[in-house]
Amino acid sequence: MSVLTSRARSVKDKHTQVAFYSMGGEMSSEQAVRGAVQAHSKRVWRFALALSGASDVADDLMQATCVRALERHHQVTSHDRLDSWLMTICRSIWLNEVRSRSVRRAQALSVTPEAELIATVSDSETNIFAAEVFTQVMQLPEAQRETVMLVFVEGYSYREAAALLEVPIGTIMSRLSNARQKLKTVMQHDAADAVQRSGK
Amino acid sequence: MTFSDETLLAYLEGSLDEAQSRAIEAAVEDDAQLERQLMALDPFAPVVQEVFERLPAESPQVNLPDSVAPARSGGFLRLVAVAATTAIAAVALTFWATRPADLGWAQQAAIYQSLYVPDTIASLDSSPASLTAQFAQAEAELGQSLNRDVLEALPGLELKRAQILSFKGKPLVQIVFADDQGRPFAFCVIRQGPAAANKDVKQAVLSGLATATWAQDGYGYMLLGSDAQVDLGGELNVLTETFSG
Repeated sequence: MSVLTSRARSVKDKHTQVAFYSMGGEMSSEQAVRGAVQAHSKRVWRFALALSGASDVADDLMQATCVRALERHHQVTSHDRLDSWLMTICRSIWLNEVRSRSVRRAQALSVTPEAELIATVSDSETNIFAAEVFTQVMQLPEAQRETVMLVFVEGYSYREAAALLEVPIGTIMSRLSNARQKLKTVMQHDAADAVQRSGK
Repeated sequence: MTFSDETLLAYLEGSLDEAQSRAIEAAVEDDAQLERQLMALDPFAPVVQEVFERLPAESPQVNLPDSVAPARSGGFLRLVAVAATTAIAAVALTFWATRPADLGWAQQAAIYQSLYVPDTIASLDSSPASLTAQFAQAEAELGQSLNRDVLEALPGLELKRAQILSFKGKPLVQIVFADDQGRPFAFCVIRQGPAAANKDVKQAVLSGLATATWAQDGYGYMLLGSDAQVDLGGELNVLTETFSG
């Protein structure tokens, strides 16, 4: 989050800014943002999927996020944690520009596991389980879904997720608790299957 | 308070009673080690991660423009506004960097603020996310709360941005507002250190702007209006009451 500083912070960081402009061996903020976009496109896409619940919306949302980030590269004064900066931009575009016109459509669709998810695994039992977990996560309410994606999948700490989603850390924890309760059914089912399989 | 791994695991599995669960959640707020411990023990995270990590199967294609001129809605006027803002910021920075050394912080802040025009603040990103990040950083730098709720509730002023500047090595935070005609207003706070004397409110016109300054408990405060004539009374009452130590 610390990268979201404003232009005139550069009063303090004047020398860094000069280095950005001169590009004398040091990476410019534009280069840093282009690099971050390439490095983090998958995780931005996954977050966009968790927000929107639909892979075509996720495609558009990720694209819009990357273009917006590039337009705002001048806001970047630190190259650390550009991933969470991208996530913040993604969520802000979702909330302010995309959500209202996507939600009605997403509710009408039943969420189905991605075809490519199935295609990447050869073991069919693992496939079935993965598809169940996928469906369970995608059926969580949006707030739980985005939290699960940030913490469970992307490995953000509770407090990082709290800062990114602008909620108290307690809210993050209770969202995760509620999500775990819903995921429990699939997991227990899986554990029973594993026991069965190992007993064969 | 310390919790055994068994207790934490019971929490994660949802089999702990309500009171103990709340105790763990409260403890995590101030205990990053406990947070790491919980995250490491969570049996759900690796399972979900394994499923979603495979998505998407290939890195998504990102089409980025070669040049980064802002291309969003708003078209030509927006471009002009952005260009003007950038030019003004450049002038302001030059001005700031080449300032005479003997001026006080309030004079410097007034010179800087006097370069602001409505276009400077029109294109600022004042989304809640940006403001939250800006305030967190500014408050950390100052070591004191900026009472964002009070600032957001100032009548007739819309909060636009908090940014960190520096004066002779002391952190100086400038908070910019737009009045109802979109003209820039500002409130500045500088950390002067515990040795600095308290000062009563003093109103003056500096660099063509109506200003009010005061100091309390090691911090200096300054309110700057959009021109020399503007009446600062309403805002000043709220701010002096809020920031009076």
